[in-house]
Amino acid sequence: MTEVLPDLPDLRAAFWRGVMPRRPRPAAVTTKEVVVPGHTPDPEALARYARVCGFTLRDALPPTWLHVLTFPLHLHLLADPGTTLPLAGLVHVRNRMRLHRPTLLTEQLEIGSGIGNLRPHRRGALVDLTGRVHVGAELVWEGVTTYLARGAQVAGAAGSAHHSRDARQDSFVPATEPGGAGAIWRLPADLGRQYSEVSGDPNPIHTSRLAAKAVGFARPIIHGMWTHARVLAALENRLPDSYEVAVEFTKPILLPGTVGFAAAPRPGGWDAAVTTRDGSKPYLLARIDY
Amino acid sequence: MQLPRTAVVVGGNRTPFAKANGAYAPASNHDLLTAAIDGLVARFGLAGQRMDEVVGGAVLKHTRDFNLTREAVLSSALAPDTPACDLQQACGTGLETVVYLANKIALGQADIGIAGGVDSASDAPIAVSEPLRRALLAANAARTLPSRLQALAGIRPSHLAPETPRVVEPRTGLSMGEHQARTTKKWDVTRAEQDELAAASHQHLAAAWDSGFFDELVTPYLGLTRDATLRPDTSVEKLATLKPVFGGPDGTMTAGNSTPLSDGAAVVLLADADYAAAHHLPALARLVDAEVAAVDHPGGADLLLAPVTAVGRLLARQGLTLADFDLFEIHEAFASTVLATLKAWEDEEYCRSVGLPGALGSIDRAKLNVTGSSLAAGHPFAATGGRIVATAATLLHQRGPGSRGLISICAAGGQGVAAILEGM
Repeated sequence: MTEVLPDLPDLRAAFWRGVMPRRPRPAAVTTKEVVVPGHTPDPEALARYARVCGFTLRDALPPTWLHVLTFPLHLHLLADPGTTLPLAGLVHVRNRMRLHRPTLLTEQLEIGSGIGNLRPHRRGALVDLTGRVHVGAELVWEGVTTYLARGAQVAGAAGSAHHSRDARQDSFVPATEPGGAGAIWRLPADLGRQYSEVSGDPNPIHTSRLAAKAVGFARPIIHGMWTHARVLAALENRLPDSYEVAVEFTKPILLPGTVGFAAAPRPGGWDAAVTTRDGSKPYLLARIDY
Repeated sequence: MQLPRTAVVVGGNRTPFAKANGAYAPASNHDLLTAAIDGLVARFGLAGQRMDEVVGGAVLKHTRDFNLTREAVLSSALAPDTPACDLQQACGTGLETVVYLANKIALGQADIGIAGGVDSASDAPIAVSEPLRRALLAANAARTLPSRLQALAGIRPSHLAPETPRVVEPRTGLSMGEHQARTTKKWDVTRAEQDELAAASHQHLAAAWDSGFFDELVTPYLGLTRDATLRPDTSVEKLATLKPVFGGPDGTMTAGNSTPLSDGAAVVLLADADYAAAHHLPALARLVDAEVAAVDHPGGADLLLAPVTAVGRLLARQGLTLADFDLFEIHEAFASTVLATLKAWEDEEYCRSVGLPGALGSIDRAKLNVTGSSLAAGHPFAATGGRIVATAATLLHQRGPGSRGLISICAAGGQGVAAILEGM
């Protein structure tokens, strides 16, 4: 079933619906898909996003901005009565997206999303939220966001035949290890608030020390999708018109913080990493394939 | 003087120009300049190529943009090992960047490069007041907490008001419009003449857009596909209804015959003639020569008439007269700037007073700003030179080899830049 929405839904309502405590039930996700048929990008909103993430403001939309446009639909599906996963326990572990062609600020977009591929993980269950952006009938962008639902119970155990397929799909190995940090990024204490404002993500663990402490972090953490966007912004003019990018969020970055960034080209793509300042431990690993 | 090599204009690209706080309100100088460069790269297939140099500039510049052009190059599709430099000469910036690069090409120091400029009146830098800036610097330099607090204690509430940039001459305290109003009166430039020139600028620019002239010169940006200031339906009658904004209640200068604050960027691709031929690049026009001049405006000289001196010296050096030109591009800072310039060219006494041998003469007005100029297109300060050079080179190429164009651009500080292009 596909639910058609007139425009991108309000994030806050869906978020608070989603974080309400739910009766423990076997993990399940809705079979519903959701689509917004006619969305016109807002140049002002894009400019604010570009400024916070380090992109030059261009007519071509950053692929991570297209993800931001699908995010309210993700929340809408997670808050759906047919989905039993507690939103507060979700950890964004990896993301994959393909830009099929440059998508322009002036184009009218159809934005769609679905949820599925619920599968066991040693710490709970993994679930995929998919996103698709069409211009007319043409698919211009698609993405898969994988969340870990901590403690969620899914039929079938880790290590089953079913799981081995997912394990391959979920494994993430950059083709080559990028070298030591080539750049230093200084993340200010209010970066979480800045990115929350431009992305609409209302999760308080990015803005409030108390909320961060409640889920086990000493300080607020920056959104994984900010770090992802910052990586693409750093490579913006080196990337072709069409590419796939997969990232794995290995460790949260606490705010304020100073991190390292390294990127290395290889035939057919790039490997990049956001690391500790000395380059020894990764926060994010990225693989870009043309 | 014979130069070792010939610098040619290969082509140009600019964004459509927007009104301040219009379509480009969210864009920075960096964004705009990158957009203009990337459009040029797309037009001439330069992606991944190293230019010998990119030179650009902006008049309203943030301190963070100390390396504006280099940073735009790094965001563009050009090879990252393309060097860049920033140059600034108020509204002369754009033309000066072309002269700088063309000279390097002519001397054999570069084969190919990009020159141009950008300005955003929407994203103008705002500075803190001078007393606040001094106090913050002192506090920053203080080594102990008490001395730091002492430095900060000097801050008064009145120091906290931010300072926006003003288009005011530091030595006279007059805005450019107020200066030009004096010139307008002194040279007896009438309201009717000004409105007529403004209407012609809009009509010429509109006709050029309609004919597809700018298809080769402009790339849309942020949804804007034409210059936002352009009013194809304007007329002398409509312009006559506007109230004066400079020169008091009896003034003749209105919002209609003065350039609006604008946002935009323009760049020009320049190359050595032989290099262009070897790489199958077009050559629209060659840069023959250029001259810069200044007048003593604190001493009472007309602020925006310095290009008259520049043009006079340039013609003398080249052994040319105004009659030798097929096109005149006089930057329309104000309609009355163009009209006073034409009157000054005809004025024996004025020309002698600035050290020229005599009057430069009259021109056929049908050769003036034939595809419109800044009154209709808008005037993002440092972008105007690139717009005019690319436009003039295209027009001269249409007129054929040997056709000549004269460019005259006035600038703040009582300065002016002039250049001669010759069609190829």
